[in-house]
Amino acid sequence: MKIGAMFGDVFQSMFKRPATERYPFERRPAPENLRGELFFDAAKCVGCALCVKECPSEALELITIDKAAKRFVIRYHVDRCTFCAQCVQNCRFKCLSLSNEKWELASGKKDPFTIYYGRDEDIEFLLAKAARRNLETPSED
Amino acid sequence: MIQNPKPQKFIVPIGPQHPALKEPGHFEFTVDGEIVTSVAIRLGYVHRGIEKAAEERNYVQDLYLLERVCGICSHIHATAYALGVEKLAGITVPPRAQAIRELVAELERVHSHLLWLGVAAHEAGFDTLFMYSWRDRETVMDILERLSGNRVNYSANVLGGVKFNVDAAQADAIRRGMDFLEERTHHYYNIVTAEETFLRRTRGVGTMSADQAEALGTLGPTARASGVQRDLRIDSPYAAYTEFPVQIVTASAGDLEARFVVHVNELFESYRVIRVILDNFPPGEIEVRMPRRIPEGETISRVEAPRGELFYFIKSNGTDQPERIKIRTPSLSNWASVSATAPGHKLADMPMILVGIDPCFSCSDRSVSILPHDRQSKLWTWEDLRQYGIEYYR
Repeated sequence: MKIGAMFGDVFQSMFKRPATERYPFERRPAPENLRGELFFDAAKCVGCALCVKECPSEALELITIDKAAKRFVIRYHVDRCTFCAQCVQNCRFKCLSLSNEKWELASGKKDPFTIYYGRDEDIEFLLAKAARRNLETPSED
Repeated sequence: MIQNPKPQKFIVPIGPQHPALKEPGHFEFTVDGEIVTSVAIRLGYVHRGIEKAAEERNYVQDLYLLERVCGICSHIHATAYALGVEKLAGITVPPRAQAIRELVAELERVHSHLLWLGVAAHEAGFDTLFMYSWRDRETVMDILERLSGNRVNYSANVLGGVKFNVDAAQADAIRRGMDFLEERTHHYYNIVTAEETFLRRTRGVGTMSADQAEALGTLGPTARASGVQRDLRIDSPYAAYTEFPVQIVTASAGDLEARFVVHVNELFESYRVIRVILDNFPPGEIEVRMPRRIPEGETISRVEAPRGELFYFIKSNGTDQPERIKIRTPSLSNWASVSATAPGHKLADMPMILVGIDPCFSCSDRSVSILPHDRQSKLWTWEDLRQYGIEYYR
């Protein structure tokens, strides 16, 4: 039986640096296998859609532009993603990887949460089509 | 002055926005002066319908859904589910994958027990212990993040194995972390068993005998602190617990102090078994291929979560979606011990008795059917339920 068993810890801590980090000012490097934002390499994709089928949060959409020419665009909803890496696990052609650098994903706007991966002209084609559809039928949606 | 002819009972309601615990639960303490005479517990404020949602997703998606039943013991839920589905599919998982599952499960137990140590100290008003134990808990959180890539939902499991391997550098980091934590845990053991101010809050509070613990159906460290010899890692080994066994940790006093002793001694046991796994890692593959469709059948899968036995029932109908998944979490079984041990204690001891079972409210919010005394169970169809709902609100 004693009183003040933790006084030693408190006293020692007075001469130590704080245990907390000054986060926005000092950034500790993230561990190598940290699961952050998804990256998709469209050039390797064969369009099997296994990543889409088993995504627990339905964060991925595979849009086929031209199946024969293997031109695919992935629409990735970052806000839905739970960063579980099941899609990375499923991909047999190593198209998908999770970044260990992009993990500060908060935003005040909705736009940055939808990311398109694919050939530039395919993405432009898709976005133009979507914009055209919005202009023609503004009441829809 | 109006004289009250007969003394009436006075009920102190606490919650659902509970001032002490960070999750919602409603408690009604009937008090006689300062002394609590009975407790009524009401749960269900965070019922999320996960079991129903699991029926509408495929087996792989369910793995991640069920990992989110509990925010503290996420890995063990996914392990229980994965073991069950692998049993249904008739697949043998490679020994290295099983060893990694056990390693992550024990690391998770370390983080969960350190978390509880801090929370329980905080409820006792001993915030110094809370702050220091949580600072040290960061060590194991960093290890888990370095291994898996996430601090909380490690997603270590896939159906048929695990996602990541453990290399030599990671193993060294784990060993260093365990050395540091072992030294600190010795210090905490001395504090929780010797600090006079703290012992006044724990010694002789919420005492539960072994018979009582058995009768109330308590599980995990709560039961083991009363001397009940029950630990699924020993009684029915799963994953790699046959190759890397653990020793059972019990105490006999049954009060809150005994629960602290059991939790802290389990930490030492986890450190030991983690080192044994790292030294004798079985070589080989970490994953086998899993069919998308699971053969028809039903199975149960039981594992020892940090809070006690976790039970999964999985029924498959031959498609890629399960027909029924039933989860019974340890917190749910431990609630009865609160209402049984609380009467006779002061109202000020209630936070300590509540936190003494290491409650997890989101885990507890499962649907429960209470059978009447004649034990007649009744199956309700959707139409019956609808009618009942209409009648209830009429």
